[in-house]
Amino acid sequence: MAKDAVDVVIVGSGAGGSPMALELGRAGFKVVVLEKGPWYKKDEFVHDEILNSRRNFFMPLPWDEPHLWRAGPDKPYSRTNEAWTANCVGGGTIHMSGYFYRLKPIDFRLKSELGAIAGANVADWPISYDDLAPFYDRAEEELGVSGNAVPHPFLEPRKKNFPMPPLSEHPVAQEIDKVAKSLGYHPFPTARGIASTQYQGRDACTYCTLCGSYGCENDAKSSTLAAIVPKAVATGNVEIRPRCMAVEVTVDPKSGNAKSVVYLDAEGVRQEQPAKVVVVSATAVESARLLLNSQSSRFPKGLANNNGLVGQNLLFSSFGQSKATFRVSKQKSQHPWLETTAPFVNRSIQDFYLMPDDRFGFRKGGTLGFMWSHPNPIFAAVGMARKGEAGIFGKALKDKLREYRDSKILEFEIYGEFLANDDTNVTVDSNVKDKYGIPVAAITIKRHPLDFKLTQFLVERGEEVLAALQPEKLERVGTAGETTILQGGTCRFGTNELTSVLNKDCRAHGVKNLYVVDGSFMPTSGAVPFTLTIVANSFRVAQGLVERMKKGGT
Amino acid sequence: MARSTDEVFPAAPGPEHERAREGDWPDDPSRRVFVQRLSFMGGGVVLLGSACKEKAVVDAGAPAVKPVAAQALSTSHLTFTNQDFAILSAATERVLPKDDDAGALDANVPAYIDRILQTPQLENMRKNFVPGLAALDRRCTRMFQVGFAEATPTQQDEVLTIFKNSPETSGEARWYEMLIVLTLEGFLGDPSYGGNKDRVGWNLVGFSLVNKNKADPGPGYDGASHLVGLRCGGGKGC
Repeated sequence: MAKDAVDVVIVGSGAGGSPMALELGRAGFKVVVLEKGPWYKKDEFVHDEILNSRRNFFMPLPWDEPHLWRAGPDKPYSRTNEAWTANCVGGGTIHMSGYFYRLKPIDFRLKSELGAIAGANVADWPISYDDLAPFYDRAEEELGVSGNAVPHPFLEPRKKNFPMPPLSEHPVAQEIDKVAKSLGYHPFPTARGIASTQYQGRDACTYCTLCGSYGCENDAKSSTLAAIVPKAVATGNVEIRPRCMAVEVTVDPKSGNAKSVVYLDAEGVRQEQPAKVVVVSATAVESARLLLNSQSSRFPKGLANNNGLVGQNLLFSSFGQSKATFRVSKQKSQHPWLETTAPFVNRSIQDFYLMPDDRFGFRKGGTLGFMWSHPNPIFAAVGMARKGEAGIFGKALKDKLREYRDSKILEFEIYGEFLANDDTNVTVDSNVKDKYGIPVAAITIKRHPLDFKLTQFLVERGEEVLAALQPEKLERVGTAGETTILQGGTCRFGTNELTSVLNKDCRAHGVKNLYVVDGSFMPTSGAVPFTLTIVANSFRVAQGLVERMKKGGT
Repeated sequence: MARSTDEVFPAAPGPEHERAREGDWPDDPSRRVFVQRLSFMGGGVVLLGSACKEKAVVDAGAPAVKPVAAQALSTSHLTFTNQDFAILSAATERVLPKDDDAGALDANVPAYIDRILQTPQLENMRKNFVPGLAALDRRCTRMFQVGFAEATPTQQDEVLTIFKNSPETSGEARWYEMLIVLTLEGFLGDPSYGGNKDRVGWNLVGFSLVNKNKADPGPGYDGASHLVGLRCGGGKGC
């Protein structure tokens, strides 16, 4: 039986769903948030690598809730748990590292600036950087971001500095500054979604070092769980329902509007939550899956999918990485900073965000972020052991583990433009169902060759910086990866109903009370992590929706 | 944020994994050994080229959940027969042999594996891992006329190396990966799971971050009991 209708039902409580809930609740609208995962309390975030990083505390198990994955339409699918973010209140903002960058003005008009790219579906955004800028301010304020905006060639226009000063840095940051500047680059402090001071009743970071991939035990990390959800609940208008898995968005056959969200509650009982407005924000992959699984006579191919574009133009972030290993015992006289244990490097280089010409084979580049290698020991050791002919065990493996004890590993990772194309998308496979009996998301990914040119170039530049620091060893991890916890596309927004799923308000073309506010709206990836942009955009969409709802609209 | 992939997990049949190999593996299809991701996120999730992709499929199978937290460690093992436990002990000690630093047995790695394979998350791995011990033993017996647990370290290493170097999708290679991953988890995981005794594993790699923070597991913490609770992520799949 259907529950009492509310004003708005939101699917997902992460970067996209929570800001919507907050703004709607503040405006006096009754909101229900359906979150498929549990609502963890901060004291449940324990420093236990097995629990956090190696089982289903955050991500579902691949045999319970698989994603299908294939590297191109001509390849077979296999089951994986790739492209999930945390299933819990707060979503991916719980285990994020919180590298918070804004997009640049160029990211909003890539096609106008660079022209079409063969084999890629490049599109301008229907809004400009200036349209989003006030909401970046808002997002930084509401979440709490620490940093220091210093001039560099690609510093985005900003009205003010970050709400909190930067976190304490490891002294290697100064060393990176020296060598990067000597190479002609402009390193700058990476802003973080981590409280460097007490902030809105939240404690400051204690520099525990087990940060990315963990939940924060003292709410210092600016997850939506810590920063947004409590404010939303405090309005008295927002109800968070954890352990509620959305199955389908139903449609009123007469109007063609969204009518309700059908979901399975914590006991597995089928429930229906009607609402005037339905907001979907379950990650780009899972939101596409939900819409594609919501088939009706009005929308036989899935909700809002009459033009066949739901799930198309999937985006991740292009990834490359290298690691510099310093031997502490041998190199500490040369590098006294090796004996300092501070966790944060917080240095970025964006000199190659947009290349002035295509002499290196690409124009749109990306961001280099420097950091200490993740300290999880099991993760590190499994990497050392490898497998197959390259695998080692016995004394050889123990020697590696001993070397690791005497090592500090500095690395960079790349957030690069990821070009949308016809062969990179999400569909659903009705033959493969998850533990709930719902058809799962099937991901096809075929990378555009330009992506690899830019990651290759950026990795080489990053390696120049690392090499100048004179490590004992410099290893390339790779130049052709993708970061699947950063997701966009699948419901791109635009002005043309034939070429986009959402309008510029992130409302579905043709379903006038359906919104999608995770990364799905993004037509292009930009070349920074998506999280802050998703939060900012959600605040932007919320403002428009509140205005319309106050006038009786949707 | 990003992390490459080095992960292992038991998985079920996908086409490329259907090939039952001759030799040590029982040809009952339900006993095929498959490997899948075990480390979900080191510090993030990233795919890096096809070389790092290791995916497969798992039979959902009815989970026989035993509440591990309630069970004390004892000489009567939860997962293994005494004979299998002896083989396992020998194998883990070859992965991390005692030298000037502690080895797998010093860390109680076999006890960790015995216990962790009772968690519902590793139901499938248990089904695949346990028969692999007998396969290892048979291979050793055929090669050296002595069981794995009684073989010399050199002989043991030779058999393990054969498993390690077997074709990527073979049962042997996948079993070897499970052995490595479970051994390293038992050596370097939170001591509450029964391994990493006296933090000998952490001492070897110099990991000292879990020592004074309020989020560090305190007395009475039992990671495995949390895992049991996680089986129900909500919904009817519980």
